[in-house]
Amino acid sequence: MQSDVVIETRNLTKVYRDFWGRQKVRALKALDLEVRRGEVFGLLGPNGSGKTTTVKLLLGLLFPTSGQALVFGRDATDVTKNERIGYLPEESYLYRFLNAEETLDFYGRLFNMPRAVRRQRAFDLIELVGLGWARKRQLKEYSKGMVRRIGLAQALINDPELILLDEPTTGLDPIGTREMKDLILRLRDEGKTVLMCSHLLADVQDVCDRIAILYQGELKELGRVDNRLKMKEVTEVRATVLDQSAMDEVRRVVEKHNGEVLSMGNPTTTLEELFLKIIRQSEEHPGRRVRGVNIGDRGSGMGIRE
Amino acid sequence: MVLEHAETLPLEVWFPLALLKWLLVLGGVAIAGLMVGWLSVAMRRGPVAGIRIVGRLLAATVGDILHISPRRVWALSWLAVRESIRRRVVVVFAVFIVILLFAGWFLDPGSTHPARLYLSFVLTATSYLVLLLALFLSSVSLPADIKSKTLHTVVTKPVRPSEIVLGRICGFTAIGTLLLVTMAAISYVFVVRGLSHTHELTDDDLHAVQHHAQGQPAVREGLTSRVHRHRHLATIEPSGRGRIAMEQNHWHDLEIEKSDGKTTYKLSRPRGMLVARVPVYGTLRFKDRDGKDSKKGVNVGDEWTYRSYIEGGTLATAVWTFDGITKKRFPESLFPKGLPVEMTIEVFRTYKGDTDDPENIPGIPGSLSVRNPATGEMVEAVIFTAREFTTDVVYIPRRLQTPDGNVLDLFDDLVSDGKMEIWLRCVQPAQYFGAAQADVYLRARDASFTLNFIKGYFGIWLQMVLIIGIGVLFSTFLSGPVAIIATSGALVGGVFSGFMMRLARGEVIGGGPVEAFIRILLQQNLVSDMEPGMRTTVAQMLDVVLGYGLYVAASILPAFGEFSFADHVAYGFDISGAVILKNTCRAAAYLVPLFVAAYLFLKTREVAK
Ligand SMILES: Nc1ncnc2c1ncn2[C@@H]1O[C@H](COP(=O)(O)OP(=O)(O)OP(=O)(O)O)[C@@H](O)[C@H]1O
Ligand SMILES: [Mg+2]
Repeated sequence: MQSDVVIETRNLTKVYRDFWGRQKVRALKALDLEVRRGEVFGLLGPNGSGKTTTVKLLLGLLFPTSGQALVFGRDATDVTKNERIGYLPEESYLYRFLNAEETLDFYGRLFNMPRAVRRQRAFDLIELVGLGWARKRQLKEYSKGMVRRIGLAQALINDPELILLDEPTTGLDPIGTREMKDLILRLRDEGKTVLMCSHLLADVQDVCDRIAILYQGELKELGRVDNRLKMKEVTEVRATVLDQSAMDEVRRVVEKHNGEVLSMGNPTTTLEELFLKIIRQSEEHPGRRVRGVNIGDRGSGMGIRE
Repeated sequence: MVLEHAETLPLEVWFPLALLKWLLVLGGVAIAGLMVGWLSVAMRRGPVAGIRIVGRLLAATVGDILHISPRRVWALSWLAVRESIRRRVVVVFAVFIVILLFAGWFLDPGSTHPARLYLSFVLTATSYLVLLLALFLSSVSLPADIKSKTLHTVVTKPVRPSEIVLGRICGFTAIGTLLLVTMAAISYVFVVRGLSHTHELTDDDLHAVQHHAQGQPAVREGLTSRVHRHRHLATIEPSGRGRIAMEQNHWHDLEIEKSDGKTTYKLSRPRGMLVARVPVYGTLRFKDRDGKDSKKGVNVGDEWTYRSYIEGGTLATAVWTFDGITKKRFPESLFPKGLPVEMTIEVFRTYKGDTDDPENIPGIPGSLSVRNPATGEMVEAVIFTAREFTTDVVYIPRRLQTPDGNVLDLFDDLVSDGKMEIWLRCVQPAQYFGAAQADVYLRARDASFTLNFIKGYFGIWLQMVLIIGIGVLFSTFLSGPVAIIATSGALVGGVFSGFMMRLARGEVIGGGPVEAFIRILLQQNLVSDMEPGMRTTVAQMLDVVLGYGLYVAASILPAFGEFSFADHVAYGFDISGAVILKNTCRAAAYLVPLFVAAYLFLKTREVAK
């Protein structure tokens, strides 16, 4: 019977020691976690809080000082579990003297994939991460984000059930970030489990179903993202553009119900959206400078406190 | 003769014992390793958890070794090759070419043994380069991968540590082999072309030396032109046939052409220079001066106790028993002069004669007799004169005459079941002959030199694979530079393991390392006794402790010298299949535990630390 729990840590503790066995850092303190099949789980925390350590423990790259890390019900040091795992490290640790195709072919071989399958997967993944134009170039000529993309392709070579992403969006441009987030959601829709570490809250907010917040190696918060983020003391209304009289009328209605209008007017969009819009238009009309993009021309927003 | 260890027992004799010893040693090491492993876990987690964890590790080891996937090993080997190429191994190749170019200047093709010189040179140069390269590549690769964290991406795939180790070993072996093969090919051409030469000979060089009856043509002799600092004596017989005498261990074939009154002489390329002699060794026993069997001959107090001595003018005899002597192996067509016996007899003189001039010291006469071990029939075959430091060739004729006038056939009457004995005696009283087993051998038909050359490079290849194994082992738990040093240490220790062993056993004059060091400090000579006292006692106790360490190191480390066939090739001896087989087995005996140990180190280390 297949259990629904994909990742389980029990009392997982990691103490880094130096060569002489002296204790240096308690990087992780008695972590208890459960990640279930089909969810996107976010591991949040400031720098040095133990996110990467947790992932490495789950992969058997580090051995726990005490406690247990189980993946698919097996011990984290069991290599056979890796058949069903994809891992994107903090930085893409790839061989810089190989090109994109060779890289994917190499990792495909490590999964014992036959040649034809490897070829097909490599081709599809290079297209997926948008590196078709650079498939024959050595990785040492790649930019940081390009390496990151090929790193992602490498993590997906075996069509894994569980994907561990350590800061998946660092180094990526906004399009890449958006694509990465879309990809994560798509993977979830395909029924895969994703565990991602990040300190970019916006990213986590966009894709994660559940999060855990680590601080100095301790678990501080655990739960569903939508519940955590709902602001119970504010109601938000968004409408298409209203003229001044209509706005006044709304204000009166709010006051009648003992509410207080916090803000009213044209909301600003994010720089992300602006950036994406410009790039999209550039792709449609290559070689021309984009002009006259209006920001926030699609509505007005209000924040109302009750 | 240098090849004192040339004789090798057949496989079925040494293999079972060696296997048993190997299993015992490995078993001992494995049990010790298990104990250490268990203790180190038990100290942290308690004894029961220790048993559980060590047990799990054992099970994982078996699994990881049984489930090695060829495709993954192939991928990892390919990666190692790519990495080596990126590290510019080709540079080594360029260095090799430069070395050869320089060697072309300073190697003297006119020396007494030019083939020996050339062959030793190319074999040594190749082995140094290839071994150093193997050492470097294998010890830096894994640490670099760990440092750059590229290994993280690899080990988070379903790759077993055994596959990583094996992939490294195979990959570096592949690139090393490629390099070695190319270097061997270039060396071959270098040697053959460097030694190849011919001489000129014209009618003007020749003069008549011997007059037959009036009007008869004479035998003519003369010296060829000087090439490679030597000339040959050419002898032209009245029949018109000619031959070129041996000089600098080679001769040339002579072709004489007559056309419209003019005679041209054409000398071939050198012959007999690049050879692979096939010695047939016998087993040696001795008889004392009264003709009784004795285990050893006389010890003449020589520090070089490798040889035993027989006294001249007595019944003292050195008896070699040969096996496998058949008509088929020594056909008359190929051995017209009879059975060739090559011997290097050492002469120990009790008196020198009346001259001090080494050229004029007379040789010591000796005799060789052939005896049928089954029937006891014995005939004196050859009388010869032994001189120091030369290898004599004598021939035992096919038909031998007994003192009473009977003629015996060598193979029919003196050999039974392929067995034959050769009895060596020193004829001159009060002089001694020294002989060891490998000093007298029958020379069977030469083997192919080219094949022997390849076998010589195979010896280097074996050493290379061993170095790669050791380098990979150290690289699983040491950082790159430290792994290089450790591997070099193993290489040097292996090369000098014989000396280390003698040091450990206290057989080296001047005491152990500490004592020798004190002697150096005090500028004391090596033989005088140390002043008794505290210092000496402590030094000698330390030496005992160090001696154990040296003993262990010398027993564990592969004796690289024994894997080298360079002397065989250079001195023109065929490397027998038995020797190749033995050394291959020996290399495998090292590689298996090296591989398992490397696996265990990699398995039990935190890759991300
Ligand atoms: N190899 C190591 N040796 C010693 N200490 C380490 C090692 N790796 C990490 N640490 C320590 O462990 C703690 C947790 O590190 P970790 O890399 O898990 O943080 P993180 O949450 O991933 O941070 P970031 O957001 O910066 O990636 C830190 O205090 C760090 O200094
Ligand atoms: Mg991190």
